[in-house]
Amino acid sequence: MLMLPELIVIGTAFLLLTLDLIWSDRQRPALALVGLSGVGAAIAATLTLMPQSGELFGGRFAVDAVAWWFKLLFLIAGGLTIALSMDMLDGRIGAGGTQLGSRGEYYVVMLFNLAGMMYMASARDLVSLYVSLELATIPLFVLAAWKRDAQSTEAGLKYVILGALASALFLYGMGILYGLSGEMRLEAMGKAMQAGPAFWLGVAMLAAGVGFKLTLVPFHMWAAEVYQGAPAPVTAYLSVASKGAGLALMFHVFYRVLGPLAGHWDLALAIFASLTMTVGNFAAIVQKNIKRFMAFSAISQAGYLLLGFLGKPGDGVPAMLFYLLVYIVTNLAVFGVIIWYSNHTGRERIEDYRGLSRTNPLVALAMMIALFGLAGIPPLSGFVGKFFLFSIAAKAGFHWLVALAAVNSTVSLYYYLRVVRQMYIEPAEAGDSALRVTPAMTGALAVTVLASVILGVIPYFYETVSAQTAGWLQGTLW
Amino acid sequence: MIEQLATLAPGPFHWLSLTVLLFAIGIYGILTRRNAVGILMAVELALNSGAMNFVVFNKYVAPSAVDGQIMAIFVIAIAAAEVVVGMAIFVTLFGHRRTVDVTRMDQITDAAGTN
Repeated sequence: MLMLPELIVIGTAFLLLTLDLIWSDRQRPALALVGLSGVGAAIAATLTLMPQSGELFGGRFAVDAVAWWFKLLFLIAGGLTIALSMDMLDGRIGAGGTQLGSRGEYYVVMLFNLAGMMYMASARDLVSLYVSLELATIPLFVLAAWKRDAQSTEAGLKYVILGALASALFLYGMGILYGLSGEMRLEAMGKAMQAGPAFWLGVAMLAAGVGFKLTLVPFHMWAAEVYQGAPAPVTAYLSVASKGAGLALMFHVFYRVLGPLAGHWDLALAIFASLTMTVGNFAAIVQKNIKRFMAFSAISQAGYLLLGFLGKPGDGVPAMLFYLLVYIVTNLAVFGVIIWYSNHTGRERIEDYRGLSRTNPLVALAMMIALFGLAGIPPLSGFVGKFFLFSIAAKAGFHWLVALAAVNSTVSLYYYLRVVRQMYIEPAEAGDSALRVTPAMTGALAVTVLASVILGVIPYFYETVSAQTAGWLQGTLW
Repeated sequence: MIEQLATLAPGPFHWLSLTVLLFAIGIYGILTRRNAVGILMAVELALNSGAMNFVVFNKYVAPSAVDGQIMAIFVIAIAAAEVVVGMAIFVTLFGHRRTVDVTRMDQITDAAGTN
Protein backbone atom coordinates (compact mmCIF):
# COMPACT_ATOMS: atom_id res chain seq x y z
CA MET A 1 0.00 0.00 0.00
CA LEU A 2 2.83 2.41 0.85
CA MET A 3 4.29 1.90 -2.61
CA LEU A 4 1.02 2.77 -4.34
CA PRO A 5 2.13 6.06 -5.98
CA GLU A 6 5.18 4.40 -7.56
CA LEU A 7 3.11 1.43 -8.70
CA ILE A 8 0.56 3.76 -10.29
CA VAL A 9 3.30 5.61 -12.17
CA ILE A 10 4.90 2.38 -13.41
CA GLY A 11 1.49 0.91 -14.29
CA THR A 12 0.67 4.04 -16.28
CA ALA A 13 3.97 3.73 -18.11
CA PHE A 14 3.21 0.15 -19.17
CA LEU A 15 -0.35 1.11 -20.09
CA LEU A 16 1.00 3.89 -22.32
CA LEU A 17 3.42 1.48 -23.95
CA THR A 18 0.54 -0.85 -24.82
CA LEU A 19 -1.82 1.90 -25.96
CA ASP A 20 0.87 3.42 -28.14
CA LEU A 21 1.17 0.05 -29.86
CA ILE A 22 -2.54 -0.55 -30.52
CA TRP A 23 -3.82 2.97 -31.09
CA SER A 24 -3.93 4.61 -34.50
CA ASP A 25 -2.10 7.84 -35.11
CA ARG A 26 -5.37 9.77 -34.85
CA GLN A 27 -5.96 8.48 -31.31
CA ARG A 28 -2.41 8.95 -30.06
CA PRO A 29 -2.80 12.58 -28.85
CA ALA A 30 -4.89 11.07 -26.03
CA LEU A 31 -1.71 9.35 -24.72
CA ALA A 32 -0.75 12.56 -22.94
CA LEU A 33 -4.13 12.61 -21.20
CA VAL A 34 -3.62 9.01 -20.04
CA GLY A 35 -0.19 9.96 -18.72
CA LEU A 36 -1.57 13.03 -16.98
CA SER A 37 -4.38 11.10 -15.33
CA GLY A 38 -1.86 8.49 -14.17
CA VAL A 39 0.26 11.18 -12.54
CA GLY A 40 -2.92 12.75 -11.12
CA ALA A 41 -3.93 9.42 -9.59
CA ALA A 42 -0.45 9.04 -8.12
CA ILE A 43 -0.70 12.55 -6.61
CA ALA A 44 -4.08 11.66 -5.12
CA ALA A 45 -2.64 8.43 -3.68
CA THR A 46 0.30 10.35 -2.22
CA LEU A 47 -1.96 12.93 -0.60
CA THR A 48 -4.16 10.20 0.86
CA LEU A 49 -1.27 8.17 2.25
CA MET A 50 0.74 11.18 3.33
CA PRO A 51 0.45 11.08 7.13
CA GLN A 52 1.45 7.40 7.25
CA SER A 53 4.94 6.09 7.61
CA GLY A 54 6.33 2.60 7.47
CA GLU A 55 8.72 0.30 5.67
CA LEU A 56 8.68 -2.56 3.20
CA PHE A 57 11.19 -5.22 2.08
CA GLY A 58 12.97 -5.46 5.41
CA GLY A 59 13.48 -1.71 5.63
CA ARG A 60 14.97 -1.25 2.16
CA PHE A 61 11.98 0.87 1.13
CA ALA A 62 10.58 3.22 3.74
CA VAL A 63 8.41 6.30 3.71
CA ASP A 64 8.31 9.21 6.11
CA ALA A 65 7.10 12.81 5.88
CA VAL A 66 10.10 14.01 3.88
CA ALA A 67 9.90 11.10 1.42
CA TRP A 68 6.19 11.83 0.84
CA TRP A 69 6.94 15.49 0.19
CA PHE A 70 9.68 14.64 -2.29
CA LYS A 71 7.35 12.25 -4.11
CA LEU A 72 4.64 14.89 -4.26
CA LEU A 73 7.11 17.44 -5.66
CA PHE A 74 8.44 15.01 -8.28
CA LEU A 75 4.89 14.12 -9.34
CA ILE A 76 3.91 17.79 -9.65
CA ALA A 77 7.01 18.47 -11.75
CA GLY A 78 6.41 15.38 -13.91
CA GLY A 79 2.73 16.14 -14.48
CA LEU A 80 3.41 19.74 -15.44
CA THR A 81 6.19 18.66 -17.77
CA ILE A 82 3.84 16.25 -19.55
CA ALA A 83 1.35 19.11 -19.97
CA LEU A 84 4.11 21.32 -21.36
CA SER A 85 5.38 18.61 -23.76
CA MET A 86 1.99 17.79 -25.29
CA ASP A 87 1.95 20.48 -27.98
CA MET A 88 5.44 19.66 -29.18
CA LEU A 89 4.78 15.93 -29.41
CA ASP A 90 1.34 16.22 -31.00
CA GLY A 91 2.46 18.70 -33.63
CA ARG A 92 0.44 21.70 -32.45
CA ILE A 93 3.29 23.99 -33.42
CA GLY A 94 3.84 26.88 -35.75
CA ALA A 95 7.47 26.51 -36.70
CA GLY A 96 9.02 23.66 -38.63
CA GLY A 97 11.70 21.53 -37.06
CA THR A 98 10.57 21.80 -33.45
CA GLN A 99 8.37 18.72 -33.36
CA LEU A 100 9.47 15.72 -31.31
CA GLY A 101 8.78 12.18 -32.46
CA SER A 102 7.78 8.93 -30.71
CA ARG A 103 5.40 10.46 -28.19
CA GLY A 104 4.37 7.15 -26.61
CA GLU A 105 7.95 6.25 -25.74
CA TYR A 106 8.63 9.80 -24.60
CA TYR A 107 5.99 9.63 -21.89
CA VAL A 108 7.02 6.09 -20.95
CA VAL A 109 10.67 7.05 -20.49
CA MET A 110 9.66 10.13 -18.52
CA LEU A 111 7.34 8.15 -16.24
CA PHE A 112 10.00 5.52 -15.55
CA ASN A 113 12.39 8.30 -14.67
CA LEU A 114 9.74 9.76 -12.36
CA ALA A 115 9.32 6.38 -10.67
CA GLY A 116 13.10 6.19 -10.21
CA MET A 117 13.14 9.54 -8.44
CA MET A 118 10.24 8.50 -6.22
CA TYR A 119 11.98 5.25 -5.28
CA MET A 120 15.11 7.21 -4.51
CA ALA A 121 13.23 9.34 -1.96
CA SER A 122 12.33 6.08 -0.21
CA ALA A 123 15.62 4.21 -0.58
CA ARG A 124 17.13 3.14 2.71
CA ASP A 125 20.12 1.02 1.75
CA LEU A 126 22.95 1.32 -0.72
CA VAL A 127 21.56 -1.13 -3.28
CA SER A 128 18.15 0.50 -3.56
CA LEU A 129 19.73 3.97 -3.44
CA TYR A 130 22.14 3.24 -6.28
CA VAL A 131 19.62 1.44 -8.47
CA SER A 132 16.99 4.15 -8.06
CA LEU A 133 19.58 6.88 -8.58
CA GLU A 134 20.50 5.32 -11.92
CA LEU A 135 16.83 4.93 -12.84
CA ALA A 136 16.50 8.63 -12.08
CA THR A 137 19.48 9.42 -14.33
CA ILE A 138 19.81 7.06 -17.30
CA PRO A 139 16.36 7.85 -18.85
CA LEU A 140 17.37 11.52 -18.79
CA PHE A 141 20.27 10.75 -21.18
CA VAL A 142 17.73 9.33 -23.61
CA LEU A 143 15.39 12.29 -23.17
CA ALA A 144 18.20 14.81 -23.73
CA ALA A 145 18.97 13.22 -27.11
CA TRP A 146 15.29 12.79 -28.01
CA LYS A 147 15.19 15.20 -30.94
CA ARG A 148 17.93 13.20 -32.71
CA ASP A 149 19.37 16.20 -34.53
CA ALA A 150 23.05 17.16 -34.31
CA GLN A 151 22.63 19.42 -31.26
CA SER A 152 20.32 17.21 -29.25
CA THR A 153 22.51 14.11 -29.66
CA GLU A 154 25.57 16.16 -28.81
CA ALA A 155 23.83 17.16 -25.59
CA GLY A 156 23.06 13.48 -25.01
CA LEU A 157 26.71 12.53 -25.53
CA LYS A 158 27.95 15.14 -23.08
CA TYR A 159 25.33 14.15 -20.54
CA VAL A 160 25.95 10.41 -20.81
CA ILE A 161 29.73 10.69 -20.45
CA LEU A 162 29.69 13.10 -17.53
CA GLY A 163 26.74 11.31 -15.96
CA ALA A 164 28.56 7.98 -16.10
CA LEU A 165 31.68 9.58 -14.61
CA ALA A 166 29.64 11.06 -11.75
CA SER A 167 27.98 7.69 -11.24
CA ALA A 168 31.37 5.94 -11.06
CA LEU A 169 32.64 8.47 -8.51
CA PHE A 170 29.48 8.09 -6.43
CA LEU A 171 29.74 4.30 -6.54
CA TYR A 172 33.38 4.31 -5.49
CA GLY A 173 32.61 6.71 -2.65
CA MET A 174 29.79 4.48 -1.45
CA GLY A 175 32.13 1.49 -1.64
CA ILE A 176 34.65 3.22 0.63
CA LEU A 177 31.98 4.11 3.19
CA TYR A 178 30.69 0.53 3.04
CA GLY A 179 34.19 -0.72 3.71
CA LEU A 180 34.62 1.61 6.67
CA SER A 181 31.28 0.79 8.26
CA GLY A 182 30.49 -2.74 7.04
CA GLU A 183 26.88 -1.62 6.76
CA MET A 184 24.55 -1.30 3.78
CA ARG A 185 21.74 0.49 5.62
CA LEU A 186 22.08 4.24 5.29
CA GLU A 187 21.19 5.06 8.87
CA ALA A 188 23.53 2.43 10.37
CA MET A 189 26.50 3.53 8.23
CA GLY A 190 27.11 6.90 9.84
CA LYS A 191 26.93 5.48 13.36
CA ALA A 192 29.60 2.88 12.61
CA MET A 193 32.17 5.33 11.22
CA GLN A 194 34.75 7.76 12.51
CA ALA A 195 36.25 10.59 10.50
CA GLY A 196 39.61 9.74 8.95
CA PRO A 197 41.47 10.08 5.65
CA ALA A 198 39.60 7.27 3.86
CA PHE A 199 36.33 8.63 5.20
CA TRP A 200 37.09 12.07 3.76
CA LEU A 201 37.96 10.53 0.40
CA GLY A 202 34.63 8.70 0.37
CA VAL A 203 32.69 11.82 1.34
CA ALA A 204 34.44 13.87 -1.34
CA MET A 205 33.50 11.30 -3.99
CA LEU A 206 29.89 11.22 -2.79
CA ALA A 207 29.85 15.02 -2.88
CA ALA A 208 30.98 14.90 -6.52
CA GLY A 209 28.11 12.55 -7.40
CA VAL A 210 25.57 14.66 -5.55
CA GLY A 211 27.02 17.88 -6.95
CA PHE A 212 26.63 16.60 -10.49
CA LYS A 213 22.92 15.93 -9.97
CA LEU A 214 22.37 19.21 -8.17
CA THR A 215 24.71 21.24 -10.51
CA LEU A 216 26.90 22.58 -7.72
CA VAL A 217 29.72 24.65 -9.05
CA PRO A 218 32.80 22.60 -9.64
CA PHE A 219 30.50 19.93 -11.14
CA HIS A 220 28.17 22.17 -13.16
CA MET A 221 29.90 22.22 -16.55
CA TRP A 222 27.47 19.84 -18.23
CA ALA A 223 24.38 21.88 -17.39
CA ALA A 224 24.75 24.75 -19.85
CA GLU A 225 25.39 22.55 -22.88
CA VAL A 226 22.86 19.85 -22.04
CA TYR A 227 20.15 22.37 -21.17
CA GLN A 228 20.74 24.21 -24.43
CA GLY A 229 20.95 21.18 -26.69
CA ALA A 230 18.09 19.15 -25.21
CA PRO A 231 14.51 19.71 -26.40
CA ALA A 232 12.87 22.53 -24.40
CA PRO A 233 10.41 20.37 -22.36
CA VAL A 234 13.26 18.04 -21.41
CA THR A 235 15.31 21.04 -20.29
CA ALA A 236 12.36 22.11 -18.14
CA TYR A 237 12.16 18.63 -16.63
CA LEU A 238 15.93 18.49 -16.04
CA SER A 239 15.97 21.86 -14.33
CA VAL A 240 13.26 20.98 -11.80
CA ALA A 241 12.80 17.23 -11.35
CA SER A 242 16.44 16.22 -11.74
CA LYS A 243 17.47 18.97 -9.36
CA GLY A 244 14.82 17.80 -6.90
CA ALA A 245 16.25 14.28 -7.16
CA GLY A 246 19.68 15.75 -6.45
CA LEU A 247 18.31 17.35 -3.30
CA ALA A 248 16.69 14.06 -2.21
CA LEU A 249 20.06 12.33 -2.76
CA MET A 250 21.80 15.02 -0.75
CA PHE A 251 19.29 14.54 2.07
CA HIS A 252 20.17 10.82 2.09
CA VAL A 253 23.90 11.40 2.04
CA PHE A 254 24.24 14.38 4.35
CA TYR A 255 21.42 13.77 6.82
CA ARG A 256 20.88 10.03 6.86
CA VAL A 257 24.37 8.66 6.28
CA LEU A 258 26.55 11.48 7.58
CA GLY A 259 24.07 12.95 10.07
CA PRO A 260 25.88 11.66 13.17
CA LEU A 261 29.07 13.31 11.90
CA ALA A 262 27.40 16.58 10.88
CA GLY A 263 29.11 19.83 11.68
CA HIS A 264 32.38 18.77 10.05
CA TRP A 265 31.48 20.33 6.71
CA ASP A 266 29.45 23.43 7.38
CA LEU A 267 32.26 25.58 6.05
CA ALA A 268 32.72 23.36 2.98
CA LEU A 269 28.98 23.56 2.24
CA ALA A 270 29.07 27.34 2.68
CA ILE A 271 31.93 27.57 0.18
CA PHE A 272 30.08 25.33 -2.30
CA ALA A 273 26.95 27.48 -1.91
CA SER A 274 28.80 30.76 -2.38
CA LEU A 275 30.69 29.47 -5.44
CA THR A 276 27.54 27.99 -6.96
CA MET A 277 25.42 31.10 -6.70
CA THR A 278 28.16 33.52 -7.70
CA VAL A 279 29.40 31.60 -10.73
CA GLY A 280 25.84 30.81 -11.85
CA ASN A 281 24.75 34.42 -11.57
CA PHE A 282 27.71 36.05 -13.24
CA ALA A 283 27.72 33.54 -16.08
CA ALA A 284 24.00 34.10 -16.64
CA ILE A 285 24.52 37.80 -17.26
CA VAL A 286 26.31 37.32 -20.56
CA GLN A 287 24.21 34.51 -22.07
CA LYS A 288 22.26 35.10 -25.28
CA ASN A 289 20.41 31.80 -25.68
CA ILE A 290 17.49 31.66 -23.26
CA LYS A 291 17.86 27.95 -22.44
CA ARG A 292 21.54 28.43 -21.64
CA PHE A 293 20.59 31.50 -19.62
CA MET A 294 18.08 29.44 -17.65
CA ALA A 295 20.76 26.79 -17.07
CA PHE A 296 22.95 29.28 -15.24
CA SER A 297 19.94 30.69 -13.45
CA ALA A 298 19.13 27.15 -12.27
CA ILE A 299 22.74 26.71 -11.09
CA SER A 300 22.51 29.85 -8.97
CA GLN A 301 19.16 28.68 -7.54
CA ALA A 302 20.86 25.44 -6.44
CA GLY A 303 23.34 27.62 -4.56
CA TYR A 304 20.52 29.29 -2.60
CA LEU A 305 18.99 25.88 -1.92
CA LEU A 306 22.25 24.73 -0.33
CA LEU A 307 21.98 27.40 2.39
CA GLY A 308 19.32 25.26 4.07
CA PHE A 309 21.92 22.61 4.99
CA LEU A 310 23.81 25.03 7.23
CA GLY A 311 21.36 25.27 10.10
CA LYS A 312 19.55 22.74 12.26
CA PRO A 313 17.65 20.14 10.22
CA GLY A 314 14.39 21.11 11.95
CA ASP A 315 14.61 24.52 10.26
CA GLY A 316 16.48 23.58 7.12
CA VAL A 317 14.46 20.62 5.89
CA PRO A 318 11.07 22.43 5.64
CA ALA A 319 12.71 25.54 4.18
CA MET A 320 14.48 23.53 1.45
CA LEU A 321 11.37 21.50 0.60
CA PHE A 322 9.27 24.66 0.40
CA TYR A 323 11.84 26.41 -1.77
CA LEU A 324 11.98 23.38 -4.05
CA LEU A 325 8.18 23.54 -4.46
CA VAL A 326 8.35 27.27 -5.21
CA TYR A 327 11.24 26.76 -7.60
CA ILE A 328 9.45 23.94 -9.44
CA VAL A 329 6.30 25.94 -10.20
CA THR A 330 8.13 29.20 -10.94
CA ASN A 331 10.77 27.68 -13.16
CA LEU A 332 8.18 25.62 -15.03
CA ALA A 333 6.18 28.81 -15.67
CA VAL A 334 9.25 30.38 -17.30
CA PHE A 335 9.93 27.21 -19.28
CA GLY A 336 6.26 27.07 -20.30
CA VAL A 337 6.69 30.38 -22.07
CA ILE A 338 10.05 29.32 -23.54
CA ILE A 339 8.55 26.08 -24.88
CA TRP A 340 5.49 27.87 -26.25
CA TYR A 341 7.57 30.55 -27.95
CA SER A 342 10.02 28.15 -29.54
CA ASN A 343 7.12 25.90 -30.62
CA HIS A 344 5.60 28.73 -32.60
CA THR A 345 8.63 30.65 -33.81
CA GLY A 346 11.60 28.30 -33.47
CA ARG A 347 13.50 31.16 -31.79
CA GLU A 348 15.49 30.76 -28.60
CA ARG A 349 17.56 33.90 -28.12
CA ILE A 350 16.69 36.40 -25.40
CA GLU A 351 16.50 39.24 -27.91
CA ASP A 352 13.93 37.26 -29.89
CA TYR A 353 11.45 37.97 -27.09
CA ARG A 354 11.31 41.66 -27.98
CA GLY A 355 7.86 43.13 -28.10
CA LEU A 356 6.14 40.05 -26.69
CA SER A 357 4.00 42.30 -24.46
CA ARG A 358 2.56 43.94 -27.60
CA THR A 359 1.68 40.70 -29.37
CA ASN A 360 0.77 38.39 -26.44
CA PRO A 361 0.34 40.59 -23.34
CA LEU A 362 -0.94 37.82 -21.04
CA VAL A 363 1.92 35.44 -21.82
CA ALA A 364 4.41 38.27 -21.32
CA LEU A 365 2.78 39.02 -17.96
CA ALA A 366 3.06 35.35 -16.93
CA MET A 367 6.75 35.34 -17.92
CA MET A 368 7.37 38.56 -16.00
CA ILE A 369 5.71 37.28 -12.82
CA ALA A 370 7.67 34.02 -13.03
CA LEU A 371 11.00 35.80 -13.63
CA PHE A 372 10.35 38.16 -10.72
CA GLY A 373 9.50 35.09 -8.65
CA LEU A 374 12.89 33.55 -9.49
CA ALA A 375 14.61 36.85 -8.62
CA GLY A 376 12.74 36.98 -5.29
CA ILE A 377 10.63 40.14 -5.50
CA PRO A 378 8.60 40.46 -2.25
CA PRO A 379 4.98 39.46 -2.66
CA LEU A 380 5.90 36.44 -4.78
CA SER A 381 6.73 33.04 -3.40
CA GLY A 382 10.38 33.21 -4.51
CA PHE A 383 10.96 35.93 -1.93
CA VAL A 384 9.38 33.93 0.90
CA GLY A 385 11.38 30.82 0.01
CA LYS A 386 14.65 32.74 -0.15
CA PHE A 387 13.85 34.54 3.10
CA PHE A 388 13.59 31.26 5.01
CA LEU A 389 16.81 29.92 3.49
CA PHE A 390 18.77 33.12 4.16
CA SER A 391 17.52 33.32 7.73
CA ILE A 392 18.74 29.75 8.36
CA ALA A 393 22.24 30.67 7.17
CA ALA A 394 22.13 33.82 9.31
CA LYS A 395 21.06 31.85 12.38
CA ALA A 396 23.94 29.43 11.83
CA GLY A 397 26.35 32.37 11.93
CA PHE A 398 27.24 32.59 8.24
CA HIS A 399 26.66 36.34 7.93
CA TRP A 400 29.17 36.76 5.09
CA LEU A 401 27.29 34.12 3.13
CA VAL A 402 23.93 35.84 3.66
CA ALA A 403 25.45 39.14 2.51
CA LEU A 404 26.86 37.41 -0.57
CA ALA A 405 23.49 35.76 -1.26
CA ALA A 406 21.73 39.13 -1.01
CA VAL A 407 24.22 40.66 -3.47
CA ASN A 408 23.67 37.68 -5.76
CA SER A 409 19.89 38.15 -5.61
CA THR A 410 20.36 41.74 -6.73
CA VAL A 411 22.62 40.66 -9.58
CA SER A 412 20.06 38.06 -10.60
CA LEU A 413 17.36 40.75 -10.73
CA TYR A 414 19.50 42.52 -13.33
CA TYR A 415 19.64 39.59 -15.72
CA TYR A 416 16.02 38.54 -15.23
CA LEU A 417 15.09 42.14 -16.06
CA ARG A 418 17.02 41.80 -19.33
CA VAL A 419 14.31 39.43 -20.54
CA VAL A 420 11.53 41.65 -19.16
CA ARG A 421 13.09 44.64 -20.90
CA GLN A 422 13.04 42.82 -24.24
CA MET A 423 9.39 41.92 -23.76
CA TYR A 424 8.12 45.27 -22.48
CA ILE A 425 10.37 48.07 -23.72
CA GLU A 426 11.77 46.95 -27.05
CA PRO A 427 9.36 47.30 -29.99
CA ALA A 428 8.07 44.17 -31.67
CA GLU A 429 9.68 43.09 -34.90
CA ALA A 430 7.78 44.20 -37.98
CA GLY A 431 5.38 41.48 -39.06
CA ASP A 432 5.13 39.79 -35.66
CA SER A 433 1.53 39.07 -34.83
CA ALA A 434 -0.17 37.46 -31.84
CA LEU A 435 0.71 33.77 -31.50
CA ARG A 436 -1.87 31.14 -30.66
CA VAL A 437 -1.86 29.76 -27.11
CA THR A 438 -3.03 26.17 -27.02
CA PRO A 439 -5.38 24.94 -24.23
CA ALA A 440 -2.70 22.66 -22.73
CA MET A 441 -0.27 25.56 -22.54
CA THR A 442 -2.90 27.92 -21.10
CA GLY A 443 -3.71 25.41 -18.37
CA ALA A 444 -0.08 24.71 -17.47
CA LEU A 445 0.87 28.40 -17.44
CA ALA A 446 -2.18 29.39 -15.39
CA VAL A 447 -1.50 26.68 -12.79
CA THR A 448 2.21 27.45 -12.44
CA VAL A 449 1.89 31.24 -12.35
CA LEU A 450 -1.02 31.19 -9.90
CA ALA A 451 0.84 28.71 -7.70
CA SER A 452 3.98 30.85 -7.72
CA VAL A 453 1.93 33.82 -6.47
CA ILE A 454 -0.32 31.95 -4.02
CA LEU A 455 2.51 30.02 -2.34
CA GLY A 456 4.03 33.32 -1.27
CA VAL A 457 0.83 35.04 -0.18
CA ILE A 458 -0.96 32.30 1.74
CA PRO A 459 1.14 30.90 4.61
CA TYR A 460 -0.84 27.64 4.74
CA PHE A 461 1.56 25.80 2.44
CA TYR A 462 4.75 26.56 4.29
CA GLU A 463 3.06 25.84 7.59
CA THR A 464 1.95 22.44 6.32
CA VAL A 465 5.43 21.52 5.07
CA SER A 466 6.97 22.76 8.28
CA ALA A 467 4.47 21.03 10.58
CA GLN A 468 4.98 17.70 8.84
CA THR A 469 8.74 17.68 8.37
CA ALA A 470 10.23 19.79 11.17
CA GLY A 471 10.58 16.77 13.45
CA TRP A 472 12.12 14.59 10.74
CA LEU A 473 14.69 12.08 12.05
CA GLN A 474 14.64 13.83 15.42
CA GLY A 475 15.78 11.54 18.19
CA THR A 476 17.15 8.91 15.82
CA LEU A 477 20.20 10.73 14.55
CA TRP A 478 20.76 13.86 16.63
CA MET B 1 59.26 -20.37 -7.00
CA ILE B 2 55.86 -21.46 -8.21
CA GLU B 3 55.17 -23.32 -4.98
CA GLN B 4 56.18 -20.30 -2.97
CA LEU B 5 53.87 -17.99 -4.96
CA ALA B 6 51.01 -20.45 -4.68
CA THR B 7 51.10 -20.26 -0.89
CA LEU B 8 50.84 -16.45 -0.93
CA ALA B 9 47.13 -15.65 -0.73
CA PRO B 10 46.30 -12.06 -1.71
CA GLY B 11 45.00 -10.00 1.21
CA PRO B 12 42.72 -6.96 1.32
CA PHE B 13 45.63 -4.66 0.62
CA HIS B 14 46.32 -6.37 -2.72
CA TRP B 15 42.68 -6.37 -3.75
CA LEU B 16 42.19 -2.73 -2.81
CA SER B 17 45.33 -1.77 -4.70
CA LEU B 18 43.85 -3.51 -7.71
CA THR B 19 40.55 -1.59 -7.47
CA VAL B 20 42.33 1.72 -6.99
CA LEU B 21 44.50 0.96 -9.99
CA LEU B 22 41.48 0.04 -12.10
CA PHE B 23 39.67 3.18 -11.04
CA ALA B 24 42.70 5.33 -11.83
CA ILE B 25 43.05 3.74 -15.27
CA GLY B 26 39.36 4.41 -15.86
CA ILE B 27 39.63 8.08 -14.88
CA TYR B 28 42.79 8.44 -16.98
CA GLY B 29 40.97 6.94 -19.94
CA ILE B 30 37.99 9.27 -19.51
CA LEU B 31 40.31 12.26 -19.47
CA THR B 32 42.54 11.28 -22.38
CA ARG B 33 40.50 9.25 -24.90
CA ARG B 34 39.13 11.22 -27.81
CA ASN B 35 36.78 8.57 -29.13
CA ALA B 36 33.49 8.52 -27.22
CA VAL B 37 33.38 4.71 -27.34
CA GLY B 38 36.82 4.60 -25.73
CA ILE B 39 35.56 6.91 -23.00
CA LEU B 40 32.63 4.60 -22.40
CA MET B 41 35.04 1.67 -22.02
CA ALA B 42 37.04 3.68 -19.50
CA VAL B 43 33.85 4.45 -17.60
CA GLU B 44 33.14 0.72 -17.50
CA LEU B 45 36.54 0.16 -15.87
CA ALA B 46 35.79 2.78 -13.23
CA LEU B 47 32.33 1.35 -12.54
CA ASN B 48 33.67 -2.19 -12.29
CA SER B 49 36.38 -1.12 -9.89
CA GLY B 50 33.60 0.32 -7.75
CA ALA B 51 31.71 -2.96 -7.92
CA MET B 52 34.86 -4.90 -7.03
CA ASN B 53 35.35 -2.65 -4.02
CA PHE B 54 32.03 -3.86 -2.68
CA VAL B 55 32.96 -7.51 -3.14
CA VAL B 56 36.34 -7.03 -1.45
CA PHE B 57 34.87 -5.20 1.52
CA ASN B 58 32.11 -7.80 1.74
CA LYS B 59 34.73 -10.52 2.14
CA TYR B 60 37.03 -8.76 4.58
CA VAL B 61 34.81 -6.36 6.54
CA ALA B 62 31.30 -7.82 6.68
CA PRO B 63 31.58 -11.52 5.77
CA SER B 64 28.38 -12.44 7.64
CA ALA B 65 26.13 -11.14 4.84
CA VAL B 66 26.34 -11.05 1.06
CA ASP B 67 25.16 -7.42 0.66
CA GLY B 68 28.29 -6.31 -1.12
CA GLN B 69 28.13 -9.12 -3.67
CA ILE B 70 24.47 -8.36 -4.38
CA MET B 71 25.48 -4.76 -4.90
CA ALA B 72 28.15 -5.84 -7.40
CA ILE B 73 25.57 -7.77 -9.44
CA PHE B 74 23.29 -4.73 -9.56
CA VAL B 75 26.19 -2.51 -10.58
CA ILE B 76 27.03 -4.84 -13.48
CA ALA B 77 23.41 -4.72 -14.70
CA ILE B 78 23.22 -0.94 -14.38
CA ALA B 79 26.56 -0.45 -16.13
CA ALA B 80 25.22 -2.51 -19.04
CA ALA B 81 22.13 -0.26 -19.22
CA GLU B 82 24.32 2.81 -19.16
CA VAL B 83 26.45 1.51 -22.02
CA VAL B 84 23.40 0.59 -24.11
CA VAL B 85 22.00 4.11 -23.77
CA GLY B 86 25.40 5.65 -24.44
CA MET B 87 26.02 3.57 -27.56
CA ALA B 88 22.53 4.34 -28.92
CA ILE B 89 23.22 8.05 -28.56
CA PHE B 90 26.67 7.70 -30.15
CA VAL B 91 25.24 5.81 -33.13
CA THR B 92 22.65 8.54 -33.73
CA LEU B 93 25.32 11.19 -33.36
CA PHE B 94 27.59 9.35 -35.79
CA GLY B 95 24.79 9.53 -38.35
CA HIS B 96 24.90 13.32 -38.17
CA ARG B 97 28.59 14.06 -37.77
CA ARG B 98 30.38 11.00 -39.19
CA THR B 99 32.55 11.10 -36.05
CA VAL B 100 32.30 10.51 -32.32
CA ASP B 101 35.49 12.42 -31.52
CA VAL B 102 34.64 14.26 -28.31
CA THR B 103 37.06 17.10 -29.05
CA ARG B 104 34.90 18.06 -32.02
CA MET B 105 31.62 18.25 -30.12
CA ASP B 106 31.39 22.01 -30.30
CA GLN B 107 28.14 22.75 -32.10
CA ILE B 108 26.30 23.82 -28.96
CA THR B 109 27.49 27.36 -28.34
CA ASP B 110 25.85 30.49 -27.07
CA ALA B 111 25.54 31.78 -30.63
CA ALA B 112 23.74 28.63 -31.80
CA GLY B 113 20.03 28.04 -31.54
CA THR B 114 19.05 30.97 -33.71
CA ASN B 115 17.37 28.81 -36.34
